[in-house]
Amino acid sequence: MPPTNAKGTDAGPTALAQTGLARPRPLRLSEQATGLLLVLPAVLLLLALTIYPVVYGAWISTFNKHSFFPEQTFVGLGNYTYVLTDPEFWNSVRLGAIYAVASIVLQIGLGVAAALVVNETFPGRNIVRSILIFPYVIPTVVAVILWKWLLNSQFGLINYLLEDAGLIDRPISWMGKDWIMVSLVLVSVWQFFPFVVLGVLARLQSIPGELYEAAAIDGANALQRFVHVTLPQLQAVLFIVILLRSIWMFTKFDTPWLMILGGGAETYIRTLPVYTYQRTFAYYEAGIGAAMAVLMFLMLAVATAIYFRLFRHEEAL
Amino acid sequence: MITARAVRGSLPLVLVSAVLLVLFAGFPFVWMISTAFKDSHEIFATPPSLIPRTWTLDNLQRLFAETKALTYLRNSVVVSLSTVAVTIAVATPAAYSLTRFRFPGREQLAGTILFTYMFAPIMIIVPFYVMMRFLGLANTHIGLVLAYTAFCLPFGLWMLRTFFQSIPLDIEQAAMVDGANRLQTVLYIVLPLALPGVIATSIFTFILTWNEYIFARILISADELKTLPVGIADLYNASVVDWGMIMAAGLLVLTPVLGVFFVIQKYMVAGLGAGALKG
Repeated sequence: MPPTNAKGTDAGPTALAQTGLARPRPLRLSEQATGLLLVLPAVLLLLALTIYPVVYGAWISTFNKHSFFPEQTFVGLGNYTYVLTDPEFWNSVRLGAIYAVASIVLQIGLGVAAALVVNETFPGRNIVRSILIFPYVIPTVVAVILWKWLLNSQFGLINYLLEDAGLIDRPISWMGKDWIMVSLVLVSVWQFFPFVVLGVLARLQSIPGELYEAAAIDGANALQRFVHVTLPQLQAVLFIVILLRSIWMFTKFDTPWLMILGGGAETYIRTLPVYTYQRTFAYYEAGIGAAMAVLMFLMLAVATAIYFRLFRHEEAL
Repeated sequence: MITARAVRGSLPLVLVSAVLLVLFAGFPFVWMISTAFKDSHEIFATPPSLIPRTWTLDNLQRLFAETKALTYLRNSVVVSLSTVAVTIAVATPAAYSLTRFRFPGREQLAGTILFTYMFAPIMIIVPFYVMMRFLGLANTHIGLVLAYTAFCLPFGLWMLRTFFQSIPLDIEQAAMVDGANRLQTVLYIVLPLALPGVIATSIFTFILTWNEYIFARILISADELKTLPVGIADLYNASVVDWGMIMAAGLLVLTPVLGVFFVIQKYMVAGLGAGALKG
């Protein structure tokens, strides 16, 4: 087909870009068809692999269903009443919330501080940035076994160093009931703070230097410049970063699950995702597991809505 | 404290903080490498040594001789590369279409993609598992690739869309004016320009898939079909933990990630925006 779209004098590239059309109007229908055809496989896969499972999950949650066998009996909201009156469910929500809040606060604090540091100019800055970001791209299983080795109560380097420095008399049982939540938070902060560094650093680099010069001329010290210049500029990116990190930490399964593996004080870090997994794949109660997943989503949706109401700024998103 | 001028004088403080941060983020890896190359006596010696007194490949050898590490490695490679192939093959035309054509539902589709970020694997794993069992795809690599495509496709689409948006339409129009048809234009003009984006998206897909644990744990039960993360977790979960071998296994799974990490570092922020860095 002859390309005739360049003949119009006023329909320049900008106008074309705005309409999203690269061809003249008479061909609109076949254009639409081509466009739809190209996008169709992606749409079908998304429908089949993401949207359908979500809907199907809600459906399963109304059945008493074994995870392996096809038999199922309709129980309506029975699974929900069961879950909502199960003290272990509420305990898992509590543990999940403790884990999420503690690890998010520390990730954000450490991440923002680290971003400020690597935003400065100093020799070797690029390699420092790479090293700081690397823990984020490794498999969780490696993060967990690395720290399980460092925190090993008998042979771990950390207990050795603490004893050597005279800070403790007896080895700490990091995977025992008193410390496992602390260990879990430590591993998670180590693995996930780079995400905060990435997001915040990108924003820091776009803050105009004049703002700081002006503040410095006005006699603002470093702390004042941070509070009055940097923080307001970071508001929008922190809004998004905290939102994403909260969603991901509250639904985090593999880190706590792998921490339990090979002897961890299981009941002290049995967060909601871990408990959901256990109900489904250890007790084979797919209906209960699905109901818990739906409840997890509802809690997230409500928390997200509240978060938006409280903190949304015009420039966010 | 941002511009170089503003911080003059606090450089020592910055350097000390940088060293502490590097120690925190990087030291666990140093310790892993150190352990992986120590013999079994030195691993448990007191005081511990940072640099092995005698370097040994025993741990790596044991890993390959006594476990199915090679099988896990091969499975990981097959599953990851297949997922990259499927994701890119499906997402590239779709992303091109989203930026070049106008059709009903285009905007809604973009919204749907963002919506899928709300769903963590743990929320869809139950129905997904039941679905795969029904289709007879549980315990197959095809089922696993489908699962990975499910969570790589949204960000792949989103990321490629950004790259296609950055390619000016006039270049394509110029080619068409010169008599090229749409297919030729895409093959010879658009795709070469979008190549960095395609490569970056492929690498993010690869890393996500390579590292994934939960779907592989649930969908695969046969030992010969397991991927490295699950295989390593099982090694660790054995009755007596062989720390030297475990650290060698960790090194094995990390090496490819380290290799591609430096290629995509400059795309990290783009990946962040697209949700390629979920986790």
